[in-house]
Amino acid sequence: MERGKMAEAESLETAAEHERILREIESTDTACIGPTLRSVYDGEEHGRFMEKLETRIRNHDREIEKMCNFHYQGFVDSITELLKVRGEAQKLKNQVTDTNRKLQHEGKELVIAMEELKQCRLQQRNISATVDKLMLCLPVLEMYSKLRDQMKTKRHYPALKTLEHLEHTYLPQVSHYRFCKVMVDNIPKLREEIKDVSMSDLKDFLESIRKHSDKIGETAMKQAQQQRNLDNIVLQQPRIGSKRKSKKDAYIIFDTEIESTSPKSEQDSGILDVEDEEDDEEVPGAQDLVDFSPVYRCLHIYSVLGARETFENYYRKQRRKQARLVLQPPSNMHETLDGYRKYFNQIVGFFVVEDHILHTTQGLVNRAYIDELWEMALSKTIAALRTHSSYCSDPNLVLDLKNLIVLFADTLQVYGFPVNQLFDMLLEIRDQYSETLLKKWAGIFRNILDSDNYSPIPVTSEEMYKKVVGQFPFQDIELEKQPFPKKFPFSEFVPKVYNQIKEFIYACLKFSEDLHLSSTEVDDMIRKSTNLLLTRTLSNSLQNVIKRKNIGLTELVQIIINTTHLEKSCKYLEEFITNITNVLPETVHTTKLYGTTTFKDARHAAEEEIYTNLNQKIDQFLQLADYDWMTGDLGNKASDYLVDLIAFLRSTFAVFTHLPGKVAQTACMSACKHLATSLMQLLLEAEVRQLTLGALQQFNLDVRECEQFARSGPVPGFQEDTLQLAFIDLRQLLDLFIQWDWSTYLADYGQPNCKYLRVNPVTALTLLEKMKDTSRKNNMFAQFRKNERDKQKLIDTVAKQLRGLISSHHS
Amino acid sequence: MAKTYDYLFKLLLIGDSGVGKTCLLFRFSEDAFNTTFISTIGIDFKIRTIELDGKKIKLQIWDTAGQERFRTITTAYYRGAMGIMLVYDITNEKSFDNIKNWIRNIEEHASSDVERMILGNKCDMNDKRQVSKERGEKLAIDYGIKFLETSAKSSANVEEAFFTLARDIMTKLNRKMNDSNSAGAGGPVKITENRSKKTSFFRCSLL
Repeated sequence: MERGKMAEAESLETAAEHERILREIESTDTACIGPTLRSVYDGEEHGRFMEKLETRIRNHDREIEKMCNFHYQGFVDSITELLKVRGEAQKLKNQVTDTNRKLQHEGKELVIAMEELKQCRLQQRNISATVDKLMLCLPVLEMYSKLRDQMKTKRHYPALKTLEHLEHTYLPQVSHYRFCKVMVDNIPKLREEIKDVSMSDLKDFLESIRKHSDKIGETAMKQAQQQRNLDNIVLQQPRIGSKRKSKKDAYIIFDTEIESTSPKSEQDSGILDVEDEEDDEEVPGAQDLVDFSPVYRCLHIYSVLGARETFENYYRKQRRKQARLVLQPPSNMHETLDGYRKYFNQIVGFFVVEDHILHTTQGLVNRAYIDELWEMALSKTIAALRTHSSYCSDPNLVLDLKNLIVLFADTLQVYGFPVNQLFDMLLEIRDQYSETLLKKWAGIFRNILDSDNYSPIPVTSEEMYKKVVGQFPFQDIELEKQPFPKKFPFSEFVPKVYNQIKEFIYACLKFSEDLHLSSTEVDDMIRKSTNLLLTRTLSNSLQNVIKRKNIGLTELVQIIINTTHLEKSCKYLEEFITNITNVLPETVHTTKLYGTTTFKDARHAAEEEIYTNLNQKIDQFLQLADYDWMTGDLGNKASDYLVDLIAFLRSTFAVFTHLPGKVAQTACMSACKHLATSLMQLLLEAEVRQLTLGALQQFNLDVRECEQFARSGPVPGFQEDTLQLAFIDLRQLLDLFIQWDWSTYLADYGQPNCKYLRVNPVTALTLLEKMKDTSRKNNMFAQFRKNERDKQKLIDTVAKQLRGLISSHHS
Repeated sequence: MAKTYDYLFKLLLIGDSGVGKTCLLFRFSEDAFNTTFISTIGIDFKIRTIELDGKKIKLQIWDTAGQERFRTITTAYYRGAMGIMLVYDITNEKSFDNIKNWIRNIEEHASSDVERMILGNKCDMNDKRQVSKERGEKLAIDYGIKFLETSAKSSANVEEAFFTLARDIMTKLNRKMNDSNSAGAGGPVKITENRSKKTSFFRCSLL
């Protein structure tokens, strides 16, 4: 029962299926019937299916017959009509055939044309395809050509961009072509070529900025100079300005008289007029002198190529090398200012370029790198300056160098470089400048003193008088009232030295300009330098003149007068310094001027030299003495040499009336003392072994001549007998011997009021021995003459007593 | 004191201010030259010892101020001079014209037998010459005086001038000594007279 149920179920399903298949066969196109039929054979019911199919066929045939029977008459009618149509159709066929034959004949040309058209279209299609292909390839070729052009015209950065574009955008589209493969292979080479050429450009650039460093630096320094000039005009203080102008006017007045010691510096220190400023050329900037584009392009190229770090390292390395070259001073830099200027220009140019690159690139150079370079540059520059400036012996050059260094420092400061060490070094150079100035002024003073005529300055007109008074602060109402011609008491070197001291002060001040020192510092510095000038340089110059061999009394006397006036002028120099440095009068100066000491010392030296000079003249006369120590004759006048000597002294003191009173008195006293001492030595010297009373008489006449001179008052101002005291020793000795007053001498010896207080027993004995020897020599004759014997006995007695005195004095 | 010389000759330099008297003396005594003109005040002297015919001769050379204001003082030295040099400047005609005045001064104040000599100084400055050598020579001949052109700067003829004058003084002195000896031989009274004169050269010769 279950078996039958199952079979029934399967049969129903199959029947439905077969029904569906039959419907599909009836409705589906022939092309798709395959799958349908295959589904029948896939199963196992194709027999039953065939039965169903046969059944359906018979049904359909039966229906067809029914239909045919129903439509039989119509069918017959139709057949009849068809037979008619057949005839008509035959006619139509013939007609169509004719028409066709005609068309064929007529359309043969058209067919040919159509064939040609077909060929053309094919060709056109090919062309179009070719064009499409080429359209893909053409941009690549164009780009490559452009690349080549850019390489040729050395526009490497665009070339690199083109290369990148070509590689990543265009070539992938046409990578299967052989020529494209060749291009792809070439790209690395081209890239390397761009790299190399860019590096070459960079090297050229580096060479260019090295060559133009000098010009760039010069330009920057000029700009800084112009800026300073503008600042000076704005900040100019009326007081200083008018004072400087007054000084210039003074120079104009004395142009033919005063030789400027610093013409160049004087011009440098002048304040530019606004008109002059306007006339200046427009100074080009650094970027106008150098083309920086190569470095920018190269930087970009290396950045694109991924080698930026390599580029940065190379650039910095090369610039460090160039820095060392720039910082190497030429061996003869110190000889001229231009040597220094070129050196500074190169350094400034170098750093201006670096600063420019710092601000116009991203990271090629950084602040740390530049600061490191600058630190090296600063230490090397300072070392070089120390070395080379020490060779400078021209103060004008040192001053100009200082101005140049200040300008150098100011220029670099504007670009942000610290320059304090340069100003510190300038203070060192200032000391050297002072030394150089002192040497220069030593020469100046020497020239002034050597060329002076050591005579009072004569003036014949009011104009000349005012000129001298304008140069040197001298006021004398009495002299002013005197009629022309008249004379100033001092000689030419007084106003000249005074003016040169002021010039020295100006020169010191000039160095202090722009050093950012306070006026008090400047004032102290100037005073110290001026003290050195006065206490060392001028002092040495004066001493050298005073100690010079063959200097005459004329010069020495005038020097005394001159130094007196210069000493009085020191207070004016103090005022001059105070005015010139703008230090307030109330300020307590830590440094004072010591000029007065210098002039006092010089005056004392000159005075001493006068005494020495006079004494030397006296010695020369004494060398002419020709006493006949054995003469028996009694003369009646002084020796020739002594008369000449006294006449010389008399005339000397007579003509040097302008010698200060005390100096004249001291000189006269010194001369008399020297003369007295020399005469005494002459009398007592060992070479004179014997002498006679006659010789003593002659000697006495000479001493009297001296005393006469002393009494005559050759120099005013002496107390009545002060000068005579110089000869008192000689006088008493000679009186003792000539008057043979031994009893008085021996009796009174040691008494405070004795007549021969100044006669030394040793001296007396020495002289007595010389007389005894004389007598002893004539001993044989003396025996025959009672007087001679008595005299000899007396001499022996006195000698014995003198020896006793000497012995007791010693014990 | 032992004498270091045989004779003492006193010479005098006179002439206008600025002709070079001091420079001539400086050249002769120190062999140096000072370009700066320093006007002599009053009187000065230098001593130099020379040798003539084996004799040591001390030349005491007085240098006088040429300015008028010192005339009284300088004139006082004429009497003692044994030789006088009259100096003019060849570049200054006025100083040459004044030689006549200086000669007149000598005749008035110097001893009658003083030896004289004319010097035309600064002969190195030929480009500024105002007085020809011939004129100088003629003037000297007119007065029976020797003449030399000198240059203190270049030292031309300076030694020659002083030695010439000294030699002339020596010649005159020797002549006097010969005359004295001859007279002395004639009688003792004259010898005594000579000694009483006390002239320095005479006394030296006795020693």
